[in-house]
Amino acid sequence: MIAALRSGMMGGRLSGLLLVALPVALLIWLVLWPVLQAMVGTVYFPGTGFSTASYAYFFTDDYSLRNLWLTLWVTALTSVLRVTVAMPIALYLRFRTGSVAALVQALALFPMFVPSVLVAYAFIRVLGPNGIVDTVLVALHLPKLMSPYLTPAGPIIGLVWDGLPLTLLLLLSGLGRVSIASVDAARDLGAGSWTLFTRIILPRIQSSIIVTLAFNVLGLFSAFTLPFLLGPASPEMMGPYMQRTFSDNADPLNATTQAVITFAFCAAFGLIYVRAIAKGRKGPA
Amino acid sequence: MAQVRLTGIAKAFGKVTALDAMDLMIDDGELVCLLGPSGSGKSTLLRLIGGFETPSEGTIAIDGVDVTHLPPERRPTAMVFQSHALWSHMTVHGNIAFGLKLRRLPRAEIRERVEKVLDLVGLAGYSARLPSQLSGGQQQRVALARSLVIEPKILLLDEPFASLDQHLRERLRDEVRDIQQRLGITAVFVTHGQDEALAISDRIVVLADGRMQQVGRPGEIYAEPKTAFVAGFIGAMNMLDGTLADGEIAAGGLRLAAEGSGAARLAIRPEDIALSEPEEGRTVTVRRMIDFGSHVVIDSTLVDGTHLRIQTDKTIRVEAGERVGIRVERWTVFAEGEAPRRYSSDTVRPFREARYA
Repeated sequence: MIAALRSGMMGGRLSGLLLVALPVALLIWLVLWPVLQAMVGTVYFPGTGFSTASYAYFFTDDYSLRNLWLTLWVTALTSVLRVTVAMPIALYLRFRTGSVAALVQALALFPMFVPSVLVAYAFIRVLGPNGIVDTVLVALHLPKLMSPYLTPAGPIIGLVWDGLPLTLLLLLSGLGRVSIASVDAARDLGAGSWTLFTRIILPRIQSSIIVTLAFNVLGLFSAFTLPFLLGPASPEMMGPYMQRTFSDNADPLNATTQAVITFAFCAAFGLIYVRAIAKGRKGPA
Repeated sequence: MAQVRLTGIAKAFGKVTALDAMDLMIDDGELVCLLGPSGSGKSTLLRLIGGFETPSEGTIAIDGVDVTHLPPERRPTAMVFQSHALWSHMTVHGNIAFGLKLRRLPRAEIRERVEKVLDLVGLAGYSARLPSQLSGGQQQRVALARSLVIEPKILLLDEPFASLDQHLRERLRDEVRDIQQRLGITAVFVTHGQDEALAISDRIVVLADGRMQQVGRPGEIYAEPKTAFVAGFIGAMNMLDGTLADGEIAAGGLRLAAEGSGAARLAIRPEDIALSEPEEGRTVTVRRMIDFGSHVVIDSTLVDGTHLRIQTDKTIRVEAGERVGIRVERWTVFAEGEAPRRYSSDTVRPFREARYA
């Protein structure tokens, strides 16, 4: 019987390993190998040997650093804004039912089905110079709008709208682990809305918030379409910067260096994400 | 201690009526069980008292004060939930002290009251543990302590032991009854377990399909059910469809004295059937015998194949397929639109012997 159990466990392990073998192989082939190639390609040059000149250039070049700084703060602010905007909606959807909740959910998830290019053009038509808002303001003899188009606020607004559905779904998944009975129990003892949120709900969805933030950062750091179409030309976010360095400047070495630096930042947040997932699997939130 | 008065309480969710208009008065220090099958409206009624739902009609008053539209946090009630609903990120002390901290009591008083209530529920020394380090029974005791520590006027318990095993459930329900009586607190207890309701209640409210079927003491509900539903739901009961005619009810091959005419249901408790010598027209065929140790239940069939359960003495031994005689001691007849009629062989015999098919 023990032998049968052991053989069963071995079979389970083998099938488990086989299940992960394909994704791991694809990860190595399509992600890790190109990353390694890129990293090696930026520091090792056949014939001349090792050099970190491209990294030294990036971290001493004022324009590159301004681009990195812009990317960092736009990413941080957009992530926080996404969570801040999505949280009340997620709380509402978690603890309310009915037709209004269904409508709110449908509206909140709608951006998921709209391509980023359309979002950008809709943004320009509404908030851009001579857009709908400007037209209405002029018609009302009011001063024209200080348009967020081609300023850092442009990609921030677009990215918040574009990423709201995913943020909402991630938060809803975390809130699913907070039972309605545990919230009712706190209300029963006298907790108001703020106390409920800060002392009952928030501590139990901490790991979900970390996962959500990490997920957002990963996507935002290398975002391209919205920063390219709505953002400023200078400084620019890392996505457009990499593309322009590669295509317009025809400088693959510096473009690859920028990509490796971007990857390093994303990898750090990826690590936070993996740790939060592992913590979540260890026990209840 | 406090009284609860429900007047014309009704609750509808959209087009579905969860509770039909009902009146109920719960006295000081009383433990009332709301008993009914799933979907009967018992939890909805409890949530209405607790303030988690607002009634569509009617009023709720506690100690004469109308609380119908007050939220849970402003009512003098505390609820123990079926799923414990403990906060896993807080220790036992944190869970119990939560309500006291919201009331901004001094730290020393909070500590003292938490220790006292932990002692009351038999968990002294457990204050530093996390809920995940406790068994199911201990977690439910913490939930009870969390509700008791704020000294509510009314304690509401929503199937608190449903997730526990039978043995633990019996022990905890006795403990809850003991604590409730010691504190003299008014309590409303929701359960779908008739044994639980019969064991701990001062009064039972039987609900079905959102309607109050009967309110009464456990013994009264058991012995004198007012509807066929209550008769079938509380305790074991043989329910036979029959016809009333000529001063008799004929059901499943049995003929017993009963007044009236038309379709009716015959209800006989298994313990109200005695075994006797086999005689023509009053015998059953044994299908199987179940020995419960304290008593024996015989699953049998009447001549037309209708099942009949008989509860009898533990010393009785019968074999499957054996034919045994029966004597019905007490029975109740439920006819549509009429009050139930109860009979016993003693009351019937003077003018008519109980007859068997």
